[in-house]
Amino acid sequence: MAALSSRKVQAGAGTCRIRIGTSGYSYAEWTAAGFYPPGTGSQRMLPLYTQRFGVTELNYTWYQMPKADAVARMAAKVPVDFAFAAKLTRTLTHEVDPNAWRAQVAQYRDGIAPLRQSGQLLAVLAQWPPFFERTPANRRYLAELLDALEGLPVAVEFRHASWAVDRVFAELERRRVTLAAVDLPPLPGLFPALDVVTNPALFYVRFHGRNARGWGSGHMQQQFDYDYSAAELAQWADQRIVPMARRVAAGAVFFNNHVRAQAPRNAETLVGLLAARGLKQFARNLSKRF
Amino acid sequence: MKLEPYPPPAMDRSIIHLNVADFAVAVERCIEPRLRERPVIVAPAGAARAVVYDMSEEAFRAGVQKGMAVGRARRLCRDATVLSPHPDRYQRAMAALLRHALPFSPRIEPGDADGHLFVDVTGTGRLLGPPVDVAWRLHRQVRRDLGLNPIWALAPNKLVAKVASRLVKPSGEYIVGAGEEAPFLAPLPVALLPGLERDDLARLFELNLRRVAQVAALSPRQLEVPFGRRAGFVHETVHGIDTTQVLAVGEKPPAVVLDHVFDTDAHADPVLEAVLYRLVEQAGVELRRRRRAARRLVLVLDHSDGLRRVRQMRADPATANDLALFALARRVLALAWTRRVRVRRLRLICGGLVFPPAQLSLFASERGEDRRRENLVAAIDRIRQRFGDAAVQVGRTFQVAMPCGS
Repeated sequence: MAALSSRKVQAGAGTCRIRIGTSGYSYAEWTAAGFYPPGTGSQRMLPLYTQRFGVTELNYTWYQMPKADAVARMAAKVPVDFAFAAKLTRTLTHEVDPNAWRAQVAQYRDGIAPLRQSGQLLAVLAQWPPFFERTPANRRYLAELLDALEGLPVAVEFRHASWAVDRVFAELERRRVTLAAVDLPPLPGLFPALDVVTNPALFYVRFHGRNARGWGSGHMQQQFDYDYSAAELAQWADQRIVPMARRVAAGAVFFNNHVRAQAPRNAETLVGLLAARGLKQFARNLSKRF
Repeated sequence: MKLEPYPPPAMDRSIIHLNVADFAVAVERCIEPRLRERPVIVAPAGAARAVVYDMSEEAFRAGVQKGMAVGRARRLCRDATVLSPHPDRYQRAMAALLRHALPFSPRIEPGDADGHLFVDVTGTGRLLGPPVDVAWRLHRQVRRDLGLNPIWALAPNKLVAKVASRLVKPSGEYIVGAGEEAPFLAPLPVALLPGLERDDLARLFELNLRRVAQVAALSPRQLEVPFGRRAGFVHETVHGIDTTQVLAVGEKPPAVVLDHVFDTDAHADPVLEAVLYRLVEQAGVELRRRRRAARRLVLVLDHSDGLRRVRQMRADPATANDLALFALARRVLALAWTRRVRVRRLRLICGGLVFPPAQLSLFASERGEDRRRENLVAAIDRIRQRFGDAAVQVGRTFQVAMPCGS
């Protein structure tokens, strides 16, 4: 199978520093699934996780505005070269109060300030819900929000297909905002899998799994229950990740299919596939096991 | 005093605390949406010296507080709508809140029609997803279906979850991760900690200790100086340690049960009352140790001829104060002891255990009496902690040889 071959990528891609990790790291079920050693409490998960991966996405910042003191304590638990991508809080993307959001942006900036100061903030991820279509009002809000987030390394992830147009990509490119590439179930109306680069500093990929039946359930355990095959990951590597890596200085790839620790397993598979193609993962000692 | 090491929990716990702020007002606003965005005061109508039972955030900002005389509250917030309390509505809303939480856990502990609900989602991750997502979904469903907007907090125990939800009043959310309990509490004022009573706070303030971090810096042995046998409890509390369980749905909250069997069957009021007072004292100590107040008092009398009489009364408000408990217990005894037959055994049950209510007495005179009672009981506790249980006794307990056979 061609996709599984370990061919070397063209010159240029090998200089891109790619970080691969998972969306969140604190899942009790990952202990039962064998990713963490038996009896691992949630306090020990992050230090153990950092032995396997060099980056993680902070999911909890979607549920709650980050608080600087707690963020600083968390950053102190990881190696200096470990990086975080922080999700933008839901009150700025899913449950927006037109009268309050500007103050919340300021709060968010304050909350993640420790990560900026330590140089560990890889990206701020603005993930939009499927109902966030490309309407004049939503376009205006997105533009205003990106203005308010000026200076932060922002990546935007659309779920609705209406945003997959050149004018959007051009505007993101003008702003140097990263368009997140997504792998989603093959359902109508969802944003397609693309390899569009809008920011020469960073590309950003999210693997959500392809569980079409569970996708609309509103239940994470069904929505993100999917195990990628090596062939599916190799296809992504060849068709999108390697081409993007040729054009960008750094990359971040996250697996969100957390159920039964499929995410870290798939992430490690992808690390091997990219290494075989001459792309090095940044920083971590991947041979280490608990 | 030797403090036992804290047993490490078998696994990290995930406790959700839902708290509908200003619950009575929130329920009234669901029924009458025109009350939204307007100041609302809930207070009994017609009572000459009625005080505020609950109020909206707008009224609170205008200076209205629970327990304040309605006349004064009206002057402070002239545009407030004043409503009579409807306890039946609050009970129904509480039941609806509980129904929404049922799919998420078998361990759900509702408050006493006060908009509070603990949900233990420990170990449900594989079935329901991450606890934080469960908390958010539960909040979303309650908001959508009931029109209530509860604060939600997620923490490794009830104590920390409750403090976290207090921080974001009147709305919002707070997540405290495992291992974050002590740093989370450290910068907070000690008055935010549930279980520290007025007398505890007074002692801390005397020592100029006003923040949790200041108290947490003291060793258990140092805390023994101001707190005696309560030092262990205070030390655990300021470090965010709370091993109390969330009760299972339908599980009756644990009660404090105390017995006395008379050596010679009793037939005189003073003797029975002396024993009853001793039982009440012991119950009060236990309630305060558990950080609970009793909502219900039950007396079981076993007569010499084998007949048993059981009577009960409701404590309103719930209390852990010896004097308030005894006043109620005497009334229950009067109901139970109507036969001219000797009594062989007396059992006191303090049930309906709840967190000590923040609700003040309706009348100013009662509030003064409450305070005097609290001060007296706290003084007796202090003397006994220092010099032993026998150091001070209430006169009526000399009527009978003690200790109780409890």
